[in-house]
Amino acid sequence: MENKALVAVDLSENSLKAVDYLAEVMSCHPKARVTLLHVIMEPSPDIVIDEEQRKQRVEQLRTEALQLMEKAGERLTSRGISEERIRLLIQVCSKPVSVAELILHEQKNGGYDTIVMGKRGMSKREQFLFGSVSSRVVREARNCAVWIVD
Amino acid sequence: MNEAELIERVDHFSRFPHRGKLKVVQDTSEFMNIKSGDVLELGGAYYLVRGDEMEGRFGLDGEPKFWVKRVVDLLDGSPKIIKLVFHESFMMQLGVERIRCFRSPRKEARILEKVADDPYFMHGFTVFDAAGNEVRILDRIRGVKFYEFINNLSMEHETYFHTRFPDVLSNIVSAVEAIGRLHGMEELHGDIRNDHILVEKETGRYTWIDFDYTYEWAENPFGVDLFGLGNILLFATGMGFHNLPDLSACAPEGMQVKSCVAPSDLSLFFKHRIINLQKLFPYIPDELNHVLMHFAQGAEVFYETTQELLDDLKPCVEILIP
Repeated sequence: MENKALVAVDLSENSLKAVDYLAEVMSCHPKARVTLLHVIMEPSPDIVIDEEQRKQRVEQLRTEALQLMEKAGERLTSRGISEERIRLLIQVCSKPVSVAELILHEQKNGGYDTIVMGKRGMSKREQFLFGSVSSRVVREARNCAVWIVD
Repeated sequence: MNEAELIERVDHFSRFPHRGKLKVVQDTSEFMNIKSGDVLELGGAYYLVRGDEMEGRFGLDGEPKFWVKRVVDLLDGSPKIIKLVFHESFMMQLGVERIRCFRSPRKEARILEKVADDPYFMHGFTVFDAAGNEVRILDRIRGVKFYEFINNLSMEHETYFHTRFPDVLSNIVSAVEAIGRLHGMEELHGDIRNDHILVEKETGRYTWIDFDYTYEWAENPFGVDLFGLGNILLFATGMGFHNLPDLSACAPEGMQVKSCVAPSDLSLFFKHRIINLQKLFPYIPDELNHVLMHFAQGAEVFYETTQELLDDLKPCVEILIP
């Protein structure tokens, strides 16, 4: 049986921990396929008025994301998951969207068995004000396992 | 309008006749230099500046807001508020939490257009000045700030709760519904507080004002607004905020401290603020106290949408107004 895992990666330390954990578990699974997903939000025109500045910001974030994804990919290959079984996916959103919704959408469309995420360790107050991506994914995911790595 | 006609209009709407040369401003970029007695020429209309609006937060005399002018429309003498373009970014304090906030004239202009037919929001329109600044021209609302409206009530809490609060709560429900409509249009108010609701003099309607704050996108975009709505509900239910130090000093008249206040009864955001008002005022029904407790340290579940809040709040109105 092929096993497909979707790893949501942000710039936090814990998302790399999540990659390590997945690599450890999947290393003995020769048919495992792993997609690393990173979401970039274009700044709102209400905040960054100049279009050129917004584009520059996205490019900067894309560069940072690529570095992160390569780092994450190396952690997977170093544990025996071959490169052809790893997919890097960077999604740039020009409109505000829920990252949790994007992850769930990708899981459904790609038929992933497992979603893996790092826990950001938000405080109660932060969860109230900003919402938690991982909490929402746990709550709304269907037909798949969700691993939250702390 | 030539200068002589303008001076005639200015004199008509001023208490004192105009002296010297009239300053007509078409580029509002340097808003600090726009003074009382100047005339703004915007979108083919003329507005006499009467002065700067004051911050006036929570009943205190505050700093002048140089980018917000009190004006008179020289066409018909109607009072208006003109908000000039001022971009700023700062850390906003939400209790003990800090969040980066941005002032966005663009956002407020967009919302004004979207809520043009909604009486629960301030109304106005946007024009561009000679330098391309997005200037908002707002109708002045005759009314009192919700903060002052509640603070001006002089009665015991129990009397307030049984006689005035049912109507206040009913109006709050309507105001929350209005915020729900805003969220439905993918917009947030951004600065919900007790002095950003005006209680209209003629209709008694609770009207939202000042929605030019915005934030970086978050997973729950409306959390900041729900935080504000919780504060307003708490303020209205308690006829003011109640803090632990107030209790240990001298409890307000009508307050009955029935049992000790536990940490789980306190606000999630404000260290000493009491959320579990039923412990102070035992006649507050369980249903309403249950809503308040979603904003307490002990809460395990938070409201994420206005609809969730309304689903719990509307039955409270039915209990209080049988």
